[in-house]
Amino acid sequence: MYDLLLFLILLLLGYVFGQRAEKRHFRSIIEREKALRDILVFSERRIPDEDQLEGTLVSGNVVISVDFFKRFVANLRNLVGGRVSSYESLLERARREAILRMKEAARRKGATAVWNLRLETASIHKGAQNGIGAVEVVAYGTAVRQRR
Amino acid sequence: MAEYENPEIPEGINVSATHPLKDFVLLVGGISALVLLAVLALSLLAGQLARHVPFAQERALAGSLGRWLPEAPAQPLHRQRQQYLQQLAERLAVAMELPPEMTLTVHYAPTDTVNAMATLGGHIVVFQGLIDTLPSENALAMVLAHEIAHIRHRHPIVAMGRGFAVIFALSSLAGVGDGAMQQWLGGVGMLPILSFSRSQEEQADADALQAMLRTYGHVGDAAAFFEHIARQQDTSEPLAIFSTHPGHEERIERIRQFARQHDTQPPPTAVPLPAFMKME
Repeated sequence: MYDLLLFLILLLLGYVFGQRAEKRHFRSIIEREKALRDILVFSERRIPDEDQLEGTLVSGNVVISVDFFKRFVANLRNLVGGRVSSYESLLERARREAILRMKEAARRKGATAVWNLRLETASIHKGAQNGIGAVEVVAYGTAVRQRR
Repeated sequence: MAEYENPEIPEGINVSATHPLKDFVLLVGGISALVLLAVLALSLLAGQLARHVPFAQERALAGSLGRWLPEAPAQPLHRQRQQYLQQLAERLAVAMELPPEMTLTVHYAPTDTVNAMATLGGHIVVFQGLIDTLPSENALAMVLAHEIAHIRHRHPIVAMGRGFAVIFALSSLAGVGDGAMQQWLGGVGMLPILSFSRSQEEQADADALQAMLRTYGHVGDAAAFFEHIARQQDTSEPLAIFSTHPGHEERIERIRQFARQHDTQPPPTAVPLPAFMKME
């Protein structure tokens, strides 16, 4: 009985705080993306006009924890299959945040563009049976600025 | 890099637009409905299988769980009452053509609970409180025959099989270990939790009436117990143990109808209870 009560409390906490954090995060992402729109990002490996530019490696990484509610819904989803919408928004946030942090790093270096963008995703969870997992996304690329 | 531009990308293209709570409700509702259906099917199946457990096995099982049965009476009066109940049950068993391997053991409990029950292994418990409410031997025989009918139709083991399947399914789903299972089996010490379905009760009533007719030639006083309970319910709160039994009005009506069909002339007279059966 107490187990069930504890479970429901965790579920409620996960839902309330998880949703609040997610809404706030999305607001902040949209705002910062607007501010960094002038830095263009490409996945192309070959940089045009390479000889006039100098490039440095920039990266941004982020770790976002899954909340209890999302995990529970995803576990149920595991039984029946289909789109795990509760994780979709989580990964979307992580990817966009990682790119943003990479762009911020590029901005600090005075770069105008990032070439050869790569994204990598890892789950900080493996092997932990009952721990709540977290997702890590790292974005990296070559930031370029005009050679002085 | 004037040839490149960075258009604004619309929001929400990578994320399904379902509300997380809607997803949650659909999943929880759907999956629990499935689980419920599966458990129900499992329990019905277990009931069907339990019916085929040999009676000797059922008896052995009852023996290993039987700590809760009332102890053999120490007082001579109680022993006398117990023997009387046993003899009455055996007379009824003959009338009901109980298979020879089904042996009945009637226990007498000197407490004032108004109840009688049939449980695993042909054990029947009759409480003094019940006897005190009954006007005649016929009324007592009706109750006893009802319990014997339950045993004859294997209702206790079916109920046990169903209950066992439900507990087993739920505890394995919830990941509860063997310890809990053992605890539950120990808790079956409260065997009266075995509850029979409405149709089982009706079947037992019908059989009991036939047994009464064969034993006494009439069914006078057969409804006495239910009439007493119906009177009680007007005054006090309903007894929880009767909640699965068919409505008393309905039952009394069915018994009276049966009595009309098997009318005897002159009006039947009930056999009185021996004097030693009533609470002094």
